[in-house]
Amino acid sequence: MTASVMPRPAATILVIEDEPSVSAFVRAALERRGYSVVQASSGAAGLKQLEAGAFAGVISDIRMPGSINGADVHEWIRKNRPELSSRMILISGDTANSETQSLLASSATPCLEKPFRVQKLITMVEKTFGKP
Amino acid sequence: MRERKSISARRPAAAAARKAAGRPKHDYSKELMELVVEAANSRVLPEFLRRFAERTAEMLDASWAGVGEIVGSRVEIYSPKAGYPADEEARGWLVQNLRQKRLGLEVLPLGRGGLHIAFYPIYASDGELMGTLCLLRKAAGLSEDEEKLLAALASHAALSMEKVRRFSQLERSKKQWVEDIDAISDYIAVHDQAWRIVRTNRSLATDLGIPPAALVGEPISSLRHIAETGSALPCPFCRDTREAREEYIATSAGRTFLVSTSRTRGASEEESRTIHVLKDITDRREAERRYRELFDSIQEGLFFASPEGQFLDVNDALVRMLGYQSAEELLRADVSAHLYPTPAAKERLVHAIAERGALRNYEETLRKKDGGLLHTMQNISAVRDALGNVVQIRGLMLDVTEQKMFQSQLQRERDFNQKILNTTQSLILVLDTAGLISYANRRCYEAGYRKDELIGHRLVDWVETSHRPDFEAALKTTAHGQQVDNLELRARRADGSLGHFSISLSPMRDEANQVNNVVVVMTDITDAALLQAKLAHAEKMATIGRLVSGVAHEVNNPLAAILGFTDLLLENPEVPVSAREDLQIILQETQRTKEIVQDLLSFARQRPAQKEPVNVNVVLRQTIKLRSYDFSSHGVEVTEEFEENLSPTLGDAQQLQQVFLNILNNAYDAIQESGNHGRIRIRTRRAEDDIEVAFMDNGTGVADPERIFDPFFTTKQAGKGTGLGLSICYGIVRAHGGEILCWNNEAESGSTFVVRLPAATETTLAAAAKEAGR
Repeated sequence: MTASVMPRPAATILVIEDEPSVSAFVRAALERRGYSVVQASSGAAGLKQLEAGAFAGVISDIRMPGSINGADVHEWIRKNRPELSSRMILISGDTANSETQSLLASSATPCLEKPFRVQKLITMVEKTFGKP
Repeated sequence: MRERKSISARRPAAAAARKAAGRPKHDYSKELMELVVEAANSRVLPEFLRRFAERTAEMLDASWAGVGEIVGSRVEIYSPKAGYPADEEARGWLVQNLRQKRLGLEVLPLGRGGLHIAFYPIYASDGELMGTLCLLRKAAGLSEDEEKLLAALASHAALSMEKVRRFSQLERSKKQWVEDIDAISDYIAVHDQAWRIVRTNRSLATDLGIPPAALVGEPISSLRHIAETGSALPCPFCRDTREAREEYIATSAGRTFLVSTSRTRGASEEESRTIHVLKDITDRREAERRYRELFDSIQEGLFFASPEGQFLDVNDALVRMLGYQSAEELLRADVSAHLYPTPAAKERLVHAIAERGALRNYEETLRKKDGGLLHTMQNISAVRDALGNVVQIRGLMLDVTEQKMFQSQLQRERDFNQKILNTTQSLILVLDTAGLISYANRRCYEAGYRKDELIGHRLVDWVETSHRPDFEAALKTTAHGQQVDNLELRARRADGSLGHFSISLSPMRDEANQVNNVVVVMTDITDAALLQAKLAHAEKMATIGRLVSGVAHEVNNPLAAILGFTDLLLENPEVPVSAREDLQIILQETQRTKEIVQDLLSFARQRPAQKEPVNVNVVLRQTIKLRSYDFSSHGVEVTEEFEENLSPTLGDAQQLQQVFLNILNNAYDAIQESGNHGRIRIRTRRAEDDIEVAFMDNGTGVADPERIFDPFFTTKQAGKGTGLGLSICYGIVRAHGGEILCWNNEAESGSTFVVRLPAATETTLAAAAKEAGR
């Protein structure tokens, strides 16, 4: 690997996803493009990471078990890290869900619908977070 | 004397006699005086007249004298001695002459020995010829004095005869009077002021066992044992001696008398009489008593009333019936005003009686004393006088309040039942055991059935052929006395369409408990059945929706990982080409799985993506255009029956096109399969609040219209479809707030799909515009 493709520490992306296989594939795809990735397996864990450090962007599943879901994470960011609210990508398993629909409509946050191709993920990440 | 004068004025003989008495040649005044005395004392006429004839013969020097007395049609001849007339012929001649009316003396020659007979009439004071005096003499005429004497004698004879006649008449009538009184069966007793019996009649004396004369002079109190009025007077029959007339009832020892008393005031105290007539009314009293007993004890009300309707007599039952305390209270004059609720009612009754004489089962509502109403039935007859005027009304009155109440209750119940029968939404029919309709309620006719196609026809003919055995079996069961409930079958409606009916059959029995009729209650449950089916379907679809949504969700996570890692592998240059080909297949199948899941999610989707006014006709035309090449090249004819100016619906034109396309494809496939000359009719119209789009094809029809919208339900060959097309349509239409239906055509082959979408209203359009502008 050349130095030019080494990710800079600033381009660290937080991936909040309860499904390990999905989380693993997203991490692999992003790291292969030179991003550095921090994983959180629940909304609550994601918020802890957000409080602890700075990220170039956040990718979060909408529907997750536990008390904090993707919408709550989005709301926390809007309040506590407003500079990050435009650097967020949501992942949805069901865009037909009315709750999801209203969240997407009100926040104008880009959303990836499961299942999605790697290329679509990278395009959206580069567009939203910038290249690493 | 006046009487004499009046006679002399009219009687020449009498006048002559008086003149003769004034100047007689030979003074016969002594003889005449003797005759007068004799006449006064004589009570026996024949004796006197004989002597009179004898004297006359002596005084007038006659060889024979006689007096002929006319008694009715006979002539009685009184003479002192026999000898004349000599024979019957002579007697006949004499009688004829004696009967003859003359003004005065008439002398006729007798024809043999120079004898002459002189006749002189004897007239009564009233001018009646009582008889004729006749003398047989030698001389042809009478001297003036003799004639005067003869007149005086005739006058004497007249006085005597008249007196005796009157006397004997009096005697006769007195005797007759006594006989008459004796003949009266009622007891008669007459007493004077001194309470002494003056007379009794024979009936009374016979009752006592003694001759009537024996009681005369006895005190009237001796009759006390016959009957008594209870007064303290010496007479057992007198009550108030000041009254000229009295009438009352006296009883004694089981006998009852009606005592009628009259008092006559004589010139003196001694002549005053009290006459008691005692009529034995024991039997009548008994009859009256029995009658009264019956009258009062009978349970029916009885009354006597005046022609004006005022009660004169009523029995206890009537008093009770009308709620009065006593007959007296009811008989009071002011009662009848209270009795009749309206004056007109009484007028009507009185009028009807006067007109018809008798009323049978006359119904009248009367008001009781307490104001309550009494329903009566009366039988009334009028009693008329000789002129035909109603003088009394008699009647019998029955209290029919209970019957009336029962009747009106029955009537109410009947009305109630009738109302139920006529207002119920069910068709109610009565069949005989042969299944022929004998009655149909109003609802049947309101539903359009005609009387002539129901009454007398078999109900089973209206039942759909395949259901007839079921109906016949049910009818048979009911005819055996068993009720059949909620038999569901299809039957023809009045307009010819088939309806889904719930039918109950109940047996109706006659007096002998034999089933003679069957009551059939038919309820058209087509709508209910349809609604229930729709509800069940909707519920099923919702369940499937939730299931599918859940499954899709769970599948999406692993699918995302598979797709993701496949992409990562394909990016990896170290993966050999052969493996890449396999990975491509994995990728393809993952993509396919993704699509299926997407389809499943659209089926379960709740809302359309977009809400814009959509012209359904426009969307349909675009959709048809998409397939027009295929249709025309395969000879499938599409007819458009679009209602123009159709209201828009709010929704997603893209999704609706997907729905219409899906249905059209389905129809096309069904037509291809059937090999028919294909026809698809597409009709749009406004149906109440909805826009209705109907697709009618003549294809093979749908195997199971109930399940056609279920996910993965397909009749197509494997690989031809996922079986999700119509499920997606269902989801889309539901998300638009509409409904999608499917059924097989009844009359012809093929099936019909109907999509109903709510027509946009001003309110919904405004709301959609606001939503879009946000």
